[in-house]
Amino acid sequence: MADGEANPDSVQAVQYLDDLLNKTLHLHITDGRMFVGQLKCTDNERNIILAMTHEYRQPSQADVKLAAERHEKGGLSGNVKVGMRKRFLGLVVVPGQYIEKVESCWTTSITSQI
Amino acid sequence: MPEDDLAEEAARLTINGDNSDRGDLGFVAKRLAQEARQTLSSSGGSRGIRDVTEEFTVAAKQLQPGQLVKDEYFTLFEAVGALEIMDPKMDSGYVPLGDTLEPDFDVCKGLPAEQVLWIMDELLRLTAVWHDGYPLSQTIFTSLHVDRLLSPDNRPPYQLSYGDMTLRIMTVEEQLVHIVLRAYCVALVKSCALVLHTIQSQNFYEEEDFVTHLFGRELLPSTGANDAIKLLDEAVKFLDGAEVRQVMRAALLERLHFAQTYISLLITNSADWNTLAAMGRLAETHKLAQPIPEAFSDKVQRQLATSTPPRPMIAISWDEALQRWTEFCADVVEADRLTCFDVCQSPHALHRAIWAFAYREPQPNTFARAYLQTILFASEQITEGMAFFDLMLTDMRDLALAGDVLADPQSFLIEMPSDSRHRCSRIIEMFMDKAFDEYMNLYRMVCQNRCRIRRTFTQSVAIFDSLETEAMKTDAELESITPGIVLPHEDGSGKVALNPLTSWVKYHRLQTMAWTTQLGFETDIYLPHELSMMYWYLMVFAQRRCKLVEHIERFLAARRKRFASSRDARPDDEAAASQEWLAVLHKQADFEASLSSALWQLTELLMTLGILQPPKRDYAQEQLLYDVRMKSYLGIAHDPIPTLEEYMSAAQSDQSVGETCNNVNSTIADAKGCLAFLKKTNPEQGKYVGTEEQWKREIKQLETTCVAVAVQTSQLRRVADKHGKLVSVARDASMKGMLEVSIPLPGSRYHGWWVVPQIRERKK
Repeated sequence: MADGEANPDSVQAVQYLDDLLNKTLHLHITDGRMFVGQLKCTDNERNIILAMTHEYRQPSQADVKLAAERHEKGGLSGNVKVGMRKRFLGLVVVPGQYIEKVESCWTTSITSQI
Repeated sequence: MPEDDLAEEAARLTINGDNSDRGDLGFVAKRLAQEARQTLSSSGGSRGIRDVTEEFTVAAKQLQPGQLVKDEYFTLFEAVGALEIMDPKMDSGYVPLGDTLEPDFDVCKGLPAEQVLWIMDELLRLTAVWHDGYPLSQTIFTSLHVDRLLSPDNRPPYQLSYGDMTLRIMTVEEQLVHIVLRAYCVALVKSCALVLHTIQSQNFYEEEDFVTHLFGRELLPSTGANDAIKLLDEAVKFLDGAEVRQVMRAALLERLHFAQTYISLLITNSADWNTLAAMGRLAETHKLAQPIPEAFSDKVQRQLATSTPPRPMIAISWDEALQRWTEFCADVVEADRLTCFDVCQSPHALHRAIWAFAYREPQPNTFARAYLQTILFASEQITEGMAFFDLMLTDMRDLALAGDVLADPQSFLIEMPSDSRHRCSRIIEMFMDKAFDEYMNLYRMVCQNRCRIRRTFTQSVAIFDSLETEAMKTDAELESITPGIVLPHEDGSGKVALNPLTSWVKYHRLQTMAWTTQLGFETDIYLPHELSMMYWYLMVFAQRRCKLVEHIERFLAARRKRFASSRDARPDDEAAASQEWLAVLHKQADFEASLSSALWQLTELLMTLGILQPPKRDYAQEQLLYDVRMKSYLGIAHDPIPTLEEYMSAAQSDQSVGETCNNVNSTIADAKGCLAFLKKTNPEQGKYVGTEEQWKREIKQLETTCVAVAVQTSQLRRVADKHGKLVSVARDASMKGMLEVSIPLPGSRYHGWWVVPQIRERKK
């Protein structure tokens, strides 16, 4: 649990971050990779610990070329889909200085919200 | 929605027990429930992502330095294991400035034969390292050709090129890569799959012995091992007609034959690994190879699923790798020999054989030990005609019930329910059922690494102890149906029965207690000042074993007297063989008691004289230290171990230094006498068929150990005499500063189980 502070801004900030705990975040970092995992911990330097993390990379030129070739060979029409490269890492800590973008996932469901 | 149901289930997850926030199980359950809830997304609604960078950054800045917002169940202890992204030491996906993500090497380009040869040899080297327990990410997966074949982008039939190569006319060099090297890689990968299957089907310890992690890759699932052999055949055919220098052709063919033999041996689970070992010619042609290190890279780790930091590639030399292969093959062949039909007829001989295997130098690798376990445990029987049940019954018969109708296999076939043999057999079977797992562990656990043998046997002691209770009940039942021989008690008071099953369990318990202590010496877990106490306990365990064997022998002798008048010679022959063997067991226990007694007295003298001392420990208490050290034995209910007080009162410190030295020498003489007897035993008498060489070697080592003890004692005596301490009572004498003692480390002892302190005079 986070320690509360007398400062109302601070209390609100802590509440905001607390609400994000265990939610899935997408972190985009300076070298182009993306990390998708559950938020477990953060601090005032914006260092972020994610659990059950997958690392995603933009496909390379070679990947795009291969996907295009296979698309053609398969006689498919329409746009070529190139998947991002993905691998499982587990528990990671992303230092705040390298984070360029933070995205959170939202869902609405037919039944109640979890 | 099914996922919602699951999420609800997970949310309701509780485990009975301590439900407080910090209670371990409740804690874990809540944590699991939480993560499960998050992972299972509710479907049927809409979802999206939202950029919260601004809000998040602003909020984070509001926190105090050092203030954390963290999940209540997330401990900082775990945080230590988190991989730090962008730190090159932790982040396997980090690409330094100026470097490329992927190695700049075209796996499809043709290569000259010399370089293909080098790659094949390098893969062989890396396979040897993998067998030693290093993960695939540091070994075989670092080959860029293998990496391409295993890439998630690749599809069956797993070519090196993603494009269509069939329309091209390939150069010889291209064919060497796409036909020969590819076939070799495929075969090696399928061999890995087979090795993993064998290892994972048996007992082993992940990370300690071997790493089975596949890093998110699959090992060519659509290609079978037999397909790999076909590919190798095609490669051989190609090479035979290819435009390649003769000497290179021969060298490449050798590698292909190696790969074929290796995978064939794995498929058939054959033991004919001598054929592989005979391929030592590889060593000669290796010099023809031309290095092409660019074909291997640890950059492959950037794309492997791993929760560990990046690891370096392993460097062992080609010669060392070949040496490993040779030893590996020899181990598999030996595993087969040691478990041959003849050896398996005697449980004790088989047991000795497994110990002998475990003590091969260097220790057999994980696959070889898994292979041995496969031979013994994969089928329903130990060997042809010897089911596990038969093995156990033979063990009981050999030890305690030779010639007795109770353990006669024929008795177990009687179907008439009123027959006492039928009734007794069913009772014995029920007991054997209870003892089965732990009994088979006596064989299986010796196939593990040395430290694990000690640790699992330590747990066995407690299990045997509780089995002894069962055995006593069973013996009482048997006695009521078929009363056995009754003899006067050794100390004259009252009568005593054999209690064969109790004796059998007790024997194994005492033997296991001795082994755990001996393995403790071998794995160096005792501090120098503890040697004295541990040797004393070893002596006590050995003495109890002696007494037990004597107890069994009395009844065996009495049983033989009854056979004298019978016409059937078989029971008497059986009893005679058992008698000879029990005499051997007796002598072995005698020896152990004598040698441990000598070492106890010697090390105790060294302590009394102030030469061997415990470290300064202000807060240590003797009883607490004792409890921790003897923890595994404290719970024994049947004939509990002597207490700390009993050990301390056995101390000999009121004797003179000279007297103690004399006692040590006479005890050593007793030990040597036992060895002389054992030397004259033949394999049938001692039940060491199959391990004759190890028997002889061990006796030699033990003889040397005895001599060493005598030598050290005379050293001590000489210096004591020089300083006029010989006739002083040990307790009152101090020889601090006059002598130095060093304790030989494991590996530099005459026999790994016996620690003989090295005594030297300290020169002024």
